[in-house]
Amino acid sequence: MTSPLASLPFSEPFADDVVCDQRFIEVSNFNFFYGKKQVLFDINLTIPARQVTAFIGPSGCGKSTLLRNLNRMNELLPGVSHSGTIAIHGISIFDPSIEVIALRRRIGMVFQKSNPFPKSIFENVVFPLRIMGKQSRSFLEETVERSLRAVALWDEVKDRLKESALGLSGGQMQRLCIARAIANQPEVLLMDEPCSALDPIATAKIEELIVELKKEFTIIIVTHSMQQASRISDLTAFFYLGKLIEFDQTQRIFTAPIQKKTEDYITGRFG
Amino acid sequence: MSHPIPHFFQHNHNKTAFGRLLRNHLLTVLCVFLSCITIVPLFSLLYLLFKKGGSFLSLSIFTELPASPGLEGGGFGNAILGTLMMVGIATFFSGPIGILGAIFIAEYAPLSRLARTVRFVAKLLTGIPSIICGAFAFAMIVLTTGHFSALAGGVALAVLMLPTILITSELALLGVSSSYRDASYGLGATPFQTIWCIVLPEALPAMMRGMMLAVARAAGETAPILFTALFSQGWPRSILEPMASLSVLIYNFSALPYPYQVQMAWTASLVLVGMVTGINLIAQWAFCKKI
Amino acid sequence: MHSRSHILTPFTEKLDELDQSLLKIGELARRNLKNAITGLFERDDDYCNNAIADDEEIDLLEMQIDREGLYIMSRFHPVASDLRSVIAAMKIGANIERVGDQTVNIARRARKINEHPAVEELHELDQVIELSSKMLEEALRACVEGNESLALEVKNMDKELDQLNKELNERLILRMQDDSSKIPIYLNLIFISRCLERIGDHAANVAEDVVFEVSAEDIRHLSSSQISKEV
Repeated sequence: MTSPLASLPFSEPFADDVVCDQRFIEVSNFNFFYGKKQVLFDINLTIPARQVTAFIGPSGCGKSTLLRNLNRMNELLPGVSHSGTIAIHGISIFDPSIEVIALRRRIGMVFQKSNPFPKSIFENVVFPLRIMGKQSRSFLEETVERSLRAVALWDEVKDRLKESALGLSGGQMQRLCIARAIANQPEVLLMDEPCSALDPIATAKIEELIVELKKEFTIIIVTHSMQQASRISDLTAFFYLGKLIEFDQTQRIFTAPIQKKTEDYITGRFG
Repeated sequence: MSHPIPHFFQHNHNKTAFGRLLRNHLLTVLCVFLSCITIVPLFSLLYLLFKKGGSFLSLSIFTELPASPGLEGGGFGNAILGTLMMVGIATFFSGPIGILGAIFIAEYAPLSRLARTVRFVAKLLTGIPSIICGAFAFAMIVLTTGHFSALAGGVALAVLMLPTILITSELALLGVSSSYRDASYGLGATPFQTIWCIVLPEALPAMMRGMMLAVARAAGETAPILFTALFSQGWPRSILEPMASLSVLIYNFSALPYPYQVQMAWTASLVLVGMVTGINLIAQWAFCKKI
Repeated sequence: MHSRSHILTPFTEKLDELDQSLLKIGELARRNLKNAITGLFERDDDYCNNAIADDEEIDLLEMQIDREGLYIMSRFHPVASDLRSVIAAMKIGANIERVGDQTVNIARRARKINEHPAVEELHELDQVIELSSKMLEEALRACVEGNESLALEVKNMDKELDQLNKELNERLILRMQDDSSKIPIYLNLIFISRCLERIGDHAANVAEDVVFEVSAEDIRHLSSSQISKEV
């Protein structure tokens, strides 16, 4: 496939270009509408590569909407529109020459509710490869092992790869979804409240995984858990009523936020 | 047990609690009673069919042609085959159209004007009497080709089945959790890949059940067939010729003054019910298995 | 300290309790210092004994503050200003406890001095006492009010106090050479001055913690010019 993205520096994720790394994803003057209702207001945000960036804020603040704009998932909804740009590697993802399918293949996504397909564990992991037409058995097997090892699931499931993914526990399913999301070696991993339905141990495993994965991927996570954001993220963005209120080092946000709204939210004074 | 009942539980034995319990029990009994009533017609029907038609059940009715009116012996193998063929033709036309149409209105453009129109028309069509479908096929095919044919019968049944298949298929597609679609699109699958690899396999069992419902209904229809395929005393030879069918055979035989033929009509009814039930059971069994 | 209205009431209540404990320990330390000084100047051992006895209460309060702080941290996971205020409260508690210890030392020295006849040189201490008490008072006030500028003032007084202490030591050492019979008294006075200087140090620490609590700036071990740049 010769999509315009193929010519992007996407395929060399470890370019030494520090400036590019620091300004990996650039959101500028971004507005977003559901029909006539504006849900994001003039968002400006620069996300560096291979760091964990957390989006926090009350429900309906637009954090998930922004996340789903980064891989243009929102376009699947009827009646949406936007203005402003989002650029990855300096190239606008809304550029008419960008193929949305190719974009999504470079940006993995993990959802709130773990959603493995009702297929075998093996088929789940190789799905992103199959849709790209990759058939080589050895390549698929290699990818399955690599991806499952990356999410620390390999030892738990290696003897039952042919069994249904729906037989796994909640935490395992979510890790399987992460394995599936990284099977195609994307550069960005978007996570929409990935631990909200998991118990503390499963949550801890996913969090450990996120910290591991940031060596290779740029991770953006939406979370309702302040503790989770403070535990695993390097940068934290606080959204309120569709606006970006504060974006700073996580350490800074959780010890001395500048904006009163941030302070009130993270300390639990909203109400 | 010599333990005293805890005060906590005893406390409820007052008047209102008793009334509440009574009302609860009465409603339960009522529901059970009404549920039983719903299965009475079904079982009495089956009982009647077995009583009246069961005695003629033999292998020969499946293999032999009907005897001439007034004579005894023979079977209705041609009618069974004819029904199967016409339902097959109907499914051949309505199945793909219904399912692909449902995919369009459920997946590709659910909010488009076309989808809305299709949905509306399909709902209208379900309410149209089957005899109108027969008249339609009669006008379309019988009049233009100049003779009655199994093809015309199949088309009449197809028109009858189409809205059911379309609506049940759309419901089946809508029943597939949107999280699967999210996951698939999120991984960069095209709409085509998402629908064919993820959504359709999930929706297939429900779709097939809907299709079998339509098939079962079509198999029992008499009016549209009467207008289109008519009847034939011989074995089916070509779909462009009139063809026998169970429903028309039942209709014809039951109106005859010969007790033997009336008896045969009962047996044919039993066979028809058996076929429909069989199709349903097979559909349930074949499409319920998931990974 | 400042108005809090968390959605979770027990959280607010526990933070308020912590503030109350801090207020109490500060008040006790102030009173003990006053008692010890009064005992010294009025030559009344009762005051001194009171100061020594009440120190136990300060110790208990310090432990209570730590317990409350730990409770809030483990149960409510405070962040931002809440986190800073809990951390600051625990550190301030520890510093005030040390102030308490110093007042005990002062009271003990005072009892020793009271065994001797009264001496004029007692008033050599006046300036040191005045400044160190002022530092403690204002540090505590800054803590209660969350007053950053006041806290910075307290920190700036520390140098002056060190200077006063040093001068006093030099003066008393000179006098020792003149009148060796009063050496025990002078030595005790030097010790008392030393204790007061330590109290000033602790007050400055409290002031630093207040600045951290209010503005999240760490101004420890910075020169005053650096501080004015930071804050």
